Order: sequence, then structure tokens, then C-alpha cells
Amino acid sequence: MHSSLSWTSRVISRALRSSFSTLLETATGGGGGAAAKGATKSGAGAGSSSSPRPRFVSVVCGFAKDNLRHKYKPGKYGEDSWFKASTASADVMGVADGVGGWRSYGIDPGEFSSFLMRTCERLVQCSHFNPQRPVNLLAYSYCELMEQKKPILGSSTACVLILNRETSTVHTANIGDSGFIVVREGQVVHKSEEQQHYFNTPFQLSLPPPGHGPNVLSDSPESADTMSFPVRDGDVILIATDGVFDNVPEDLMLQVLSEVEGERDPVKLQMTANSLALMARTLSLNSEFLSPFALSARRNNIQARGGKPDDITVVLATVAM
Amino acid sequence: MSLLAYGEPAQSSDTDSSTAAEAEADALVDFTAMLQRQRQGEHGGWFGYDSKMQSTESNQGYYLEQYVLGVLDFSSQYGIDYSISYTAANVVGRPTKFPAYGDYPETFPMRTYGDWWQRAPSATREIQPQNLPKLETHDYVVVYFEEFVVPTEVAIFETFNPGAVVRIWAYGLTKHWTCLWEATESDLARPPSDSRRFAPALKKTTMVTKTLRIDFNHSRLNYYTEIDAIMLCGRTVSKTQNLLAKQQRTQQSRTLVSPPPEVIGSPPSDGTGGPISYKLRTLKFQPNCGKDGATKLHEFINNDLSQFLAANCMDGGETPPQICLTDLPFEILLRILSYLDLKSLFRVGQVSRTFYDISTHPLLYAELSLKPYWHVASSELLCTLARRATMLRKLDLSWCGGFGNVSPTEFKKFLTQRGDNLTHLRLNSCKFLNASCIENVGIVCDNLIELSLRNCATDPPLLNFSCLANLKNLERLDLFQTYFETELLLSMLEGNRKLKHLNLAFCGVSVNMDNVAAHLATYNTQLISLDLWKAHFLSARGLQSLARLHQLEELDLGWCLREASLGDGLFQLLSNCPKLKKLFLSAVRGTTERDLMHIAALGKNLEQLDLMGILNITHERVYDILVHCPKLQLLDLSFCDNIMDRDFQLLADWSRQFNVDIKSSRHH
Repeated sequence: MHSSLSWTSRVISRALRSSFSTLLETATGGGGGAAAKGATKSGAGAGSSSSPRPRFVSVVCGFAKDNLRHKYKPGKYGEDSWFKASTASADVMGVADGVGGWRSYGIDPGEFSSFLMRTCERLVQCSHFNPQRPVNLLAYSYCELMEQKKPILGSSTACVLILNRETSTVHTANIGDSGFIVVREGQVVHKSEEQQHYFNTPFQLSLPPPGHGPNVLSDSPESADTMSFPVRDGDVILIATDGVFDNVPEDLMLQVLSEVEGERDPVKLQMTANSLALMARTLSLNSEFLSPFALSARRNNIQARGGKPDDITVVLATVAM
Repeated sequence: MSLLAYGEPAQSSDTDSSTAAEAEADALVDFTAMLQRQRQGEHGGWFGYDSKMQSTESNQGYYLEQYVLGVLDFSSQYGIDYSISYTAANVVGRPTKFPAYGDYPETFPMRTYGDWWQRAPSATREIQPQNLPKLETHDYVVVYFEEFVVPTEVAIFETFNPGAVVRIWAYGLTKHWTCLWEATESDLARPPSDSRRFAPALKKTTMVTKTLRIDFNHSRLNYYTEIDAIMLCGRTVSKTQNLLAKQQRTQQSRTLVSPPPEVIGSPPSDGTGGPISYKLRTLKFQPNCGKDGATKLHEFINNDLSQFLAANCMDGGETPPQICLTDLPFEILLRILSYLDLKSLFRVGQVSRTFYDISTHPLLYAELSLKPYWHVASSELLCTLARRATMLRKLDLSWCGGFGNVSPTEFKKFLTQRGDNLTHLRLNSCKFLNASCIENVGIVCDNLIELSLRNCATDPPLLNFSCLANLKNLERLDLFQTYFETELLLSMLEGNRKLKHLNLAFCGVSVNMDNVAAHLATYNTQLISLDLWKAHFLSARGLQSLARLHQLEELDLGWCLREASLGDGLFQLLSNCPKLKKLFLSAVRGTTERDLMHIAALGKNLEQLDLMGILNITHERVYDILVHCPKLQLLDLSFCDNIMDRDFQLLADWSRQFNVDIKSSRHH
């Protein structure tokens, strides 16, 4: 019996082993310096390169479900976690949603997702980072779990998005019910698919306690949904956890997102992200409103009503060329 | 410290140089470019860290602080090479955790600490130990930076258990290593447990470098030491090429050997040195001898020696009698010189013909270690040594040959000439090794008892096909961090039935360890120590095979078997291997409470026990183990998340009570 973790890491470590000598010479970006929490601003006009090199202008906003339990820590909203990183060849963003069911076993669900995202951030700066394979990023990050002294258990969904500057294409990998949505000229052009085993049980990367392997749902990074598509100047990309997609109906989201098409001012972008997150939060706490979650529950023969209280993470970016 | 406002110096290196301002600066205002334009007219003294502007020097550089760009070599690391946790690659770039203090995966720890590995059953003795300096080097890391500078400061950011750095070397343009700083005894007093930026006073030098090597000695440390970053500060030189030429012209070649003098030292004027007794007779000294001849010497020493000495010092007129070294018999001289280190031996050989003859005697070269001389080891040295070392038995060429100083051809020639009687061969971290060198070892050195090829990982692996299949007498095989082809190892295991010590740390990635374990159980039942660190894919089945090695005294299963449950593998191991002294179960998370009870019940001879990161350890189990394992010296309970903060005082009390060194970590 090969648990997914063991199989994944065997494949990954063999692949990495063949190029291990280059690992020693990591990129010059430096380990922890990347992913400032604010926005990346377009550079001064003088001396800009001739070929169109797209980049993200990105902002983050979110709310933890339970403000009392979770003090604010950068990079996390409750059990959700996110990261942003940037290299010469790519801009990377990602979110991860820790599965809350672990709390009843005494495991902090936010630890796994936070670790996954922090490691992705560090791995982006390594020399073996491939801007066209976000699945690899997730897989390597997942393997790093095995190398931690502190035991990290739990599971989470994940969604990673890479903008490859050379080719102006976006590559994505999504496991579970977090996702992204791309808006151009008032229309949704790309959207991720929710991956679920059954209702309210999304695909998830997991590291179970030893000995409980067979009892725990564990999907390997290979089962991620991948997409690649070109982007144009002014496209709006939203990556969010299910706290947003389950509470905010798509047309409302579309309305909000189309307003910032082509926006390069990070302050305005931040305002939109804030309002979207606030919208999601308000709707989630509303017990009468027929949220997308409630609708989907009804389709599964569950009489639900109102929003779904959950952690909310919004990573909003526009493509600037 | 970057001057680019609003962060993210996208592809600039971590330097403060004005050349770091690249076109892609994501800045509202590019201060660096502004300053550059401002200073264009001036000398290029950027930021003017020194107040003296030397207007005569047209190639005056600027002061520069830079972090590591890449790692060229390291002797050991805690993590496995493809990972970014606890590995040498974390030294690159700015410090990520400093000034925080703790055990973080974003830093670089080495594999060992303290003297626990020297106290384990697998400990080895150094070859030619008199060569070693007082503070010998256990581990090293070689890093390079972006710009050449004249070094003025090297700062090492230590974030856990500081105090291991003992030497800082720099590699100059003339391809020589210079030691910029060396620790003295007082420097090794253990500093307080806090993160520190260690920047010792460097030797004043004019050399230009961008490659550094840091040597570590962690024998006095409590636990692993971890390095977050290394910074090299100095003054750049813009005309690097001219400087190189100048340095090469003025450089005098330094070698360990200078040609021995043809003509020889002058013999003493009163005839050739004769035997001691003759000398004594000429001194006209009559000791008091009793009837009983046996007490003569004893009496002489007690009663007459002082008188003898006094009498002979007082003589003014005659030439004072000389007993010099050359009077001593040849064998005694040989014995005396055998205590000398290699460098001094060569120097002694320059004194006179007699001393040259003695110092080149092959018996003095039965054991040869060039490890402490890694910075001057060269093909010429090997050639010279080959002439003398006709009775070579033990050879240690570890760490030599970096940057092409030793050629594989010369090594093969040396081995062919002198290798057939070799019993111990250590070639750790030898960069000149290639597959044909290893083949040569396999063919020539069939009397080998010990073969150590640590840290020789290359792709494709050095050890392939049947290159070492000829070796049949091995008792110790050390392949730490070296890749090999599984078939080769299996055939070697089958061939070397007397194998006692086997180190396969970090080799477990593409190797089926269960298979290896099964082979060991079948063919190598005399095994005393086995190191399978980070053999991720060892399973419970492999553990059960290992239980058939009844002579086992040391077993390192760190980071193996992680997500699998052990079954009763550990119980069988403990029952069948009663001699077990050292058992490392770091991060073997499948260890259950029952396993811990078995350890307490069956581990009567346990001296070192590592239970780092094991879940569900309670302090009752710890107490059990402490009570029932009387010989326990080391117990590592770091990252055992069930040991709560309030138990730390308890652990400290037990540590004193049972006289056991208990390691534990506080959660941050």
C-alpha cells in the first residue's frame, strides 16, 4: 500500500535528486525577502524594458471566522493561509484552506495550510522552481513536510497560480474547493472547478498521524486540477478560499471585479478587495440569505439556509504589462 | 540594506553595491540611481565609509557588504540535499531568522554536535593525529559571493547554539587559501545561548577574494549549531585583472616541500658523535656504585645526578661535553620523530643529511593524513610522498583536491605505487575523485579494512557497476551522503562478511532499504553499527530484518519509517539485540507508547537515545526509561510536543538525579 505522501515524495525526490547540485546555487533573491504584504507598484517609466513583461499588482484581504480564537498573524486568516512571491521570471500567488475537522483530534488545522504556503514562498526562490508547473511547487512543498522536526499534521486545500512573464501565460493548480476566477471585459473568462469527494468534503493534501493513514482522506498533488491560459493587460484575477465562493454569488462577484479591470493603483485595488472580503463576511453571517453554499446544499438534499461562516481570504490581482 | 524603496529588489543580488540597481527596480523612487548620478563626478567612493579619500588611487573601490550567493561545498548537513529544511542551501542570501533564537528549518545545522559521536560504538580514530591542530575542524562549508573584495570583516549569523566557528579561510585570486582568523582557546568559551552576529577580528591582508570557507568545531556545544547567513564585507577593487597579474608576479610559490640540501650539516669538531657510554667515559665521572648492581641507576638518579650536572656545568676550560640528538641510536630518533606532525617532519629534514635520512624513512610514513593540510595539498606533494611512503598502511586524503589542486591521474599513480598494503583509506569530500579513481581503489587496495567515501555525491554516482567488488575484507564502510548503485552495495555486502560498521546516511532516496536490510540480515550478521539516517522508505519489514543482527550496538534510524507504524519491529529489535548502546529514533513518528515501554524494559545497555519529534511521549514514559536504563547518558526529547512547558523543570531535576543529559526544546 503506497500512501500518497510516500509515493509523491519518492517521485519528487528522484526528480530533484538528479538536479540536486544546482540546488546549492539558489537564486539571488534571498530566502525571506520576498512577498511583501503590500502591493507591488509599477516601476518608474524611464528605462522600462521593451518587450511586454507582465506583472501582478496584487493585494490581500480577509477575515478569520472566529476572531476571538485567532489573533491576527501575517499570512493567515484563521485557518486559511496565503502567499505571494515574485522572481525575475514569474509572479506567484496562492491560498490554502485548512480543514477544520482536525481540531477535534487536538491538531491545529491552520498549521498545515500555513506551512504549505510559507514553504511555497521559499521554494519560489529556489533554482529548481519551474514557472510552468505549479503542481511541482505544491508537491515539493508537501514533501518538505516530511523534513520538519516539529510534527505538522492536518490537511488543507490549495490553489496556486503562477504568471510566467516570458510567455504572459498563467498556470494554475487547484486541489479542493478554493479557487480562482479571471475576469476580462465584464465576463468571466476562466474559473476553477471545485473538487469534492462528496458534499463539504473537498480534495485535500493531508498528513495524517502515523498509523491512521488508511482512515484519512489524502489526495496527492498529482490529482490537482491544472489550467494554463494567456492573459492580457487589465485582466482581473481573484484567488480565494471557499469562504468567498460559498457566500458571494457569482454575479455579485463579477460586478465587483469588473470595476477594477485595468486598475494599477494598489490603493484602489485594496479598497475593492476589502469590500469583497467584507461582503463575504457579512453574507456568511446572514442566516436568511440563500448563499451559493445553501443552494448547493439543497441540491444535495440538505435543507440549508443562510451563509456559511468560514475564514475568508481574498487575493486580488490585476495584470499590468 | 537596500536603497530601493518599497521592497522587492526583483533580481538584484543581496549586495549594497551601486551596481545592484537593475532595470526592473520596483521602486517609487530609485535612490540608488540618484546617488549614482550624484557621485559620478566623484571617485566612486560610494557612501564614503572611509573618510580618507585617496585621490592618488584611481582604482579605489567602495565598501561593500554582501551575503552568500551560493554554496560550493559542505561536509555535512542535517537535512537531505533536495530539501530546503535544515540544509546548507539556507546559508544563501540574507538572514531569514536572525535575530530570533531557536531551532528553525530555515537555517543550516550540521549533522553532529558535542562529542556524542566520538563516544558511540562507531567512532573512529584519526589517522596521524599529530597533524591535527589543537582545535581541529569537524565540519566546514565553502561559500562564494558575488563581488571580489579585500576582506575587512566576515560576519556569521548564528541563530542556535553559537560558538562553533574556529577558522575562516579565504580563497585568493592566486588560487591559494589564506586563513583570515583562527580561534584560540579563550574564544571557545561557550557564549550565552542567544543568537549572535559573530564577526571576529580578521588578519590584515591585501588579498582579494570572493570565496570563503568556514571551519566548525562543535565538540563543546550542547546541541546542534545553526547558521542563518554569512556576510562578507570589504573594499572592492575595480581593476581586478591588473591586480591578479600583479599578485602573480610578486607571489612566491609556497609549497610544503623545499628541496633538501645536498650538503650536509657539520659534524662536531671533536670527532664523530659516538655512543653515549663513550661520552660518559670521557667525562671522567665516577658514580657511586653499591655492591648490588641493580640499584645503580636508581641511586645515580637520586643521589648523583644533580652532582653530575653541577660538576659538568662548572667546567670552564674544557669544551663542554655535548650529547646531541645525532648521538642517539637511529631507532630512538625514529621514535622521537614519529611524534612530529607532517609539516615539522619536512622542516626537520632540511636540517642536515642525517636528519634528512631519518625523516624520510618509510616507517614514519606508515600513516599519512593530508586532511589538516587540505589547503596546500597538491599533486606535487602526493608525488613527493609517494617516494617516501613505501610502507603505507593508512591514508587520509579527505578534503583535499578542491579547485583542482590534486589531479585524479596523480592520485591513481600514487595508489598504484603505494596502495597495495593499505588497510585504511579515507577519501571524504575529495573533489578530484572520478569513477576510474574508485575503480583503481577497488583493484589495487584489496587489503582494505576500512573505506570511507563520505560526501562524494555526484551525478551519475561515482560508485557504480562492480568497481569495488574486489574488496573482500572490509570491516568499515562509510558512504555518508554518497550515492551508489544499489546492486553494487548489495554485492559488496555479500562479499564482505566481516563488515562491522556501515554508514548509509542520506543514501536512502533511490535505494530500496528493505532490500539492503534483508541483505544485511543474511550476509553481515557481525554488524556492530548501522546508520540509516533519512532512509525515508525503510518499512516495518526492513526493521524486522534488522532485528536479526544480534551483534548490533548502534543503530541510527533517524527520519526513517515516518508515516508507517512500526508493528512489533522495534520490540523484536530490542529483544534480539541486547548489546544495543545507541538508538536514534529521531522523527520516527510511528513510535508508540508501547514501543517506549519496550525500550525501558529491554534497553539495559542503552547509552544514547534520541526520541526527537516523537508524538505522544509522556513524562511517565520518560521516567520509566530513566529508571530502567541505568547506563543512559544522552536522551534527546526535542520537539516532543507532549512534553509541556511545566515539565521542563521536572526534566532538569531528573537530569541531575539520573545523571543523564536530557535535551528538550521550548515551543516558540
